[in-house]
Amino acid sequence: MNETTPTPRPLSNRERMGLPHQEMPLNDPVARVKNFDEVPVGYSEEMAQAEAMRCLQCKKPACIGACPVGINIPAFIKLIEQGKYGDAAKKIRETNFLPAVCGRVCPQDKQCQAVCVVGRKNIPVGIGNLERFAADYERNNHLLEMPSMNMPTGKRVAVIGSGPAGLSAAYELAIRGHEVVIFEASHRAGGVMVYGIPRFRLPLRIVDEDIRFLTKLGVRFVYNMVIGKVLTIEDLLQREGFDAVMVGTGAGLPRMLNVPGSNANGVFSANEYLTRIYLMDAHHFPKYSTPLSSGKKVAVIGAGNTAMDVMRTAKRLGAEVTCYYRRSHDEAPARSEELKHAEQEAINWRWLSNPVEFFVDENNFVKQIKCERMTLSEPDETGRRKPVPTGEFFVEECDTVVMSLGCSVNPIIPSTDAEIHTNKWGVIIVDPETCQTSKKGVFAAGDAITGGSTVILAMGQAKKAAAAIHEYLMGKPTDPSPAVNDAELKQDLVNTNR
Amino acid sequence: MTDRIQILIQGLDTNSVASVTRTLDQVKNLEDLTVDEKICLTEAFFEIFAHAHHTNSTSMPKLAVRAGKRIAKFGPEMMPVLFNRLVEADSETANYYGKALARNGVAGLNYLFPKLSEHRSRDHDLINLIQALAYFKIPDAASTVPFVLSVAQHVNHQVTSMALYTIGRLVQQLPPSAFSDELRQFIFSSCFRFLSHAQGLVRKNAARTLGKMLRKGLLSAENEKKLYKAFLSICGRDEQHNWDRAFIVRREAEDFLPFFHHQSVPVRRYTQSYKIKSRQLLCANTYHLTIEAPLIARKIEAGQFVIVRPHIFSERIPLSICNWDRTKGTIDIIVSAVGKTTTEINAMNIGDAFEDVVGPLGERSALPTSPGTSVLIGGGYGTGAIIPTARDIKATGNKVIGIVGARNKENLIMVSELQAVCDEVILTTNDGSAGMGGLVTDALREVLLREKVVYVLAIGPVPMMKAVSEMTRPQAIPTFVSLNAIMVDGTGMCGACRVTVGGETKFACFHGPDFDGHKVDFENLMKRQKMFVKEERLAFEHLKV
Repeated sequence: MNETTPTPRPLSNRERMGLPHQEMPLNDPVARVKNFDEVPVGYSEEMAQAEAMRCLQCKKPACIGACPVGINIPAFIKLIEQGKYGDAAKKIRETNFLPAVCGRVCPQDKQCQAVCVVGRKNIPVGIGNLERFAADYERNNHLLEMPSMNMPTGKRVAVIGSGPAGLSAAYELAIRGHEVVIFEASHRAGGVMVYGIPRFRLPLRIVDEDIRFLTKLGVRFVYNMVIGKVLTIEDLLQREGFDAVMVGTGAGLPRMLNVPGSNANGVFSANEYLTRIYLMDAHHFPKYSTPLSSGKKVAVIGAGNTAMDVMRTAKRLGAEVTCYYRRSHDEAPARSEELKHAEQEAINWRWLSNPVEFFVDENNFVKQIKCERMTLSEPDETGRRKPVPTGEFFVEECDTVVMSLGCSVNPIIPSTDAEIHTNKWGVIIVDPETCQTSKKGVFAAGDAITGGSTVILAMGQAKKAAAAIHEYLMGKPTDPSPAVNDAELKQDLVNTNR
Repeated sequence: MTDRIQILIQGLDTNSVASVTRTLDQVKNLEDLTVDEKICLTEAFFEIFAHAHHTNSTSMPKLAVRAGKRIAKFGPEMMPVLFNRLVEADSETANYYGKALARNGVAGLNYLFPKLSEHRSRDHDLINLIQALAYFKIPDAASTVPFVLSVAQHVNHQVTSMALYTIGRLVQQLPPSAFSDELRQFIFSSCFRFLSHAQGLVRKNAARTLGKMLRKGLLSAENEKKLYKAFLSICGRDEQHNWDRAFIVRREAEDFLPFFHHQSVPVRRYTQSYKIKSRQLLCANTYHLTIEAPLIARKIEAGQFVIVRPHIFSERIPLSICNWDRTKGTIDIIVSAVGKTTTEINAMNIGDAFEDVVGPLGERSALPTSPGTSVLIGGGYGTGAIIPTARDIKATGNKVIGIVGARNKENLIMVSELQAVCDEVILTTNDGSAGMGGLVTDALREVLLREKVVYVLAIGPVPMMKAVSEMTRPQAIPTFVSLNAIMVDGTGMCGACRVTVGGETKFACFHGPDFDGHKVDFENLMKRQKMFVKEERLAFEHLKV
């Protein structure tokens, strides 16, 4: 920045509030359902600056509190407004080491953007889009720098699972100077970011870049290791010389509808459907030998984020896709952006429809779906409107059914170590402050302790767990992550007190 | 030019994938080509090389390589033609000429190598010729390394980086035995010097070549330590040095950091080679493989299984284990070629490695709870899988009777191994060519009459397991069956392997693979196993092509 240039008069808050929201440019719905390319194109520099100008730079920003990892949102937006994109990315990286992932898959409309003050009168600031812009700018211009790292402590931590929780914990532990080995059960690192989230939402190269970054910090990955089976937690702690274990195994046990025909051929769990495609490349069959008999008429049950992923994936495989959900459009748990993108891609919707049976042909292949029409009750004391059956039924043709009804926690680790306690749903019980399980030295984070949530929440917990592991390893409370800048923190406190 | 060649060449449209493919196929079928005809065709193929990068099709470069293969098949007479074009080729097409030349093997090398010194003074020619060296896959190619390294001292940095690239490729594709100790040291010290070259491209290729040496195990311990320090400072992890300014060099070094062996957490102890140690033909299409997987071998118990993926394009399939050796660190599997992936596995040789082997998965087999006779029934390739459980039960002191069923005498497998761990083994064949004629259930009926049976385990085809379960149901004898459902991940994540047991949905990979035979819904299992019949056939046909 040239100091002598006269700075233009700063915009008033009222003016900022009135600025138009920059819509994220998207690929054309007709063309994009034929490929797996990313749907949102990303902001240009001009658009990013225009969007950044809309931020009011609140004195007490609510968005930071609404972010599970506490990104200093106004600060990074200010840097974008000033054209310091690389610094903006660095700012985000202070608290979030997967900005490119989070900018793409976080439910911002339920977190930071939900509390944005601009959103009271206008569309909230596109925080997610800006985060994505900064991260992409950093990656495309190779500005990513090594974080400052503590001297090696000589302690070793085993991280189980290489999904969002595992990777974040590994990062936080590595910069504190611990040696980290990540054990992954499949043949590819990234967990749900690789097998579950479609490429058109999160291109593989972004996850790969982040994993490459971790290896640069000295984190090592070991594949094909189902911990609990090939090595137990006890083995890791006693024989393999690890000082602590962090469990990030996620929620991988799919829930299925218990109705007649749900074990028919052509009925998949969302996990199976997505895994076959994204982990095993079944859409390149027979070059890749994993088969997937995805038909011409695909029925998807559920309306969460995963259901949207399945629908849009099936659409890209050339199917006609119909969504069945027992509540209505407004109750759909998916991220609003995903719902919007799915709507653009010509999905058929059957709201207020509860599948009760799948009819099969003589070879046990599903051919029809029978649903009961539902209606919504008045909101109960929790404010939730319950679906009530009406007794009316309808039957529709389909040749593939994908159930996307959420997951339970993967039971392998708790079932092979009696000291790790779970609640009746199989969720690992942890101390909410430290994320420590009932077994000493074993910590857990992510979907394994929530039973199914988002990438960013898993990362928030992993950060907490990593801090607790660090404290546990060092035997005493030590400085928090070097990512937190003390001087800046103090300055903030001074400002707030004034 | 003869007519047939004239027609062929006129029909060739180097912008169309279909036309190029057709022409290549037609040329393949031509016989008795004269040298002139070959030269004409070769010149025509050069057009394919030239256009390979100017069409949008991704398959064009592959077709160009195929055309190169065809030229090499024409014989050594084509080498001068190739050579003349190689020296004047641009950087995009030089690789096709090089690859075609390299396919001539030793003859190609003997032709090309002397020419290198002749063209030493012309940088452009030299770059292309060195690049061509990179495609030789014969151990003799290692003898060119000292010359290439001497060329690398060239003032033109493009020559240097191409020389380093070539050495990197040779290091990667030639067997380690091709490089003598002195040669290794020479490559290392030369490349190491180039890590501080002024040009980023040179540093990148030097780093890559050194990394490949590391990965191939060509570095001495001392050199490895030296390289580790250098790579750390390139990546910016060494406090005393700045990291490399060039992104491409950092990236290269980062890629190889995990391959250093002397770090304090020896990750190597968790990487298993999955190499086939021995391979034995049991009967038609059925092999007994011993695979190196020390970690799995240390933990596996009777009844558990592994999921294997032979190569990166293949699917993950579950296989049961018939034996293991905890001290040698090996596991034994029996693979019967029934589909694409099993056929691919059976085509693997001793020394080949699986891409992935995951295990041990599932729960171990239940043991009999009361004293009495245990009957273990194996049908077809399931015979191997009952051996570990038979051994376990025998160790508890119970009487163990093994029943083996097969179509005919030739298909009876693993009998002597089973006899070693059973008190009695009854053989049955459908055609009566060995043992008693009939099915395993006939043998079981006879055993049930004379013995107090307290435990039955059946592993084999679903109809067999179903028939066994039906036979023991009236007397309510605890009967277990091992279900080989379709699986993907094997950790309970996908639900592909769900089976109905006692009205409940269970996951075979996690709750099983053994289930109470009296409760299993065999009908549903059989239908589910046929889910991908169409695709499997397609894949199998694809394999044959």
